[in-house]
Amino acid sequence: MPLSEQQVAKLLQLVGDSRTDGLDCDGCFEHLAEFAEVSLMCREIPEALQAIEIHLEQCPCCHSEFQALREALLSLDDA
Amino acid sequence: MDIETLPDPWIQRLRGPQPERDAAIAELRQIIVRGLQRSLSQRYGGAVQLDDVAQEAVLKILDSLDRFDGRSRFTTWAMTIATRIGISELRRRHYQNVSLDAVTPADSLQIETAGEGAATPEQLLDRKIVMSRLSELIETTLSDKQKLAIRGVLEGLPVEEVARRTDSNRNAIYKLIHDARLKLRSGLEAAGVASGDVAEIFT
Repeated sequence: MPLSEQQVAKLLQLVGDSRTDGLDCDGCFEHLAEFAEVSLMCREIPEALQAIEIHLEQCPCCHSEFQALREALLSLDDA
Repeated sequence: MDIETLPDPWIQRLRGPQPERDAAIAELRQIIVRGLQRSLSQRYGGAVQLDDVAQEAVLKILDSLDRFDGRSRFTTWAMTIATRIGISELRRRHYQNVSLDAVTPADSLQIETAGEGAATPEQLLDRKIVMSRLSELIETTLSDKQKLAIRGVLEGLPVEEVARRTDSNRNAIYKLIHDARLKLRSGLEAAGVASGDVAEIFT
């Protein structure tokens, strides 16, 4: 079945937004806890964690897990 | 041993003698359930048993204590593991009825649209040119696995679910898609189509 008009537009967006990402999902996961704490403290992302930021931009799966993690950590702080 | 090299108190308790260990496990489970209550309820329908997720997470955490390196708080690290387990289970349930069986490599990224929705004849022509070049690049530079993986994402599946349906793993599918995206991007750029132009042509 050919792609719909919306799927073509989504594909072009995926292509247009692509950046070289040196990590895979497990590589991101290894540092996600540290990244989440830095992010929650609104501190500047150190160079060593900038690869995580790129991966999160490129990978919706890891991005949604990161957002959920942030919410979980914030809800613990609220308690 | 100075204080810098002492294990985290959580690690000490989770590796400690029985009564202390059990209390630490119970406390950790409570923290996980409390953290996930809000974060998972709004995602993928939120239909997951938090106690089950917490139980699985605690087992995974206990099994991975050697991997905790102290670069974050222990509870943050533990919540990272629990979140991934919970979201993974939510995704599995949410997409269990979505299949890629009807998609074949031959037509997985076939483009037949005529550029409908263009605001002007010039934009219509630009769209046709971009889509023609994109079709050519898909056929000449992408493998069948790459085409199927991208189609899965375009059908709305998360990478993790594409991996499940193709008997692969999340890292491998992510890499396939990542490399394909870069190939298509560089191919379009080589043909004089910058990503900024594409955004303009298709909005």
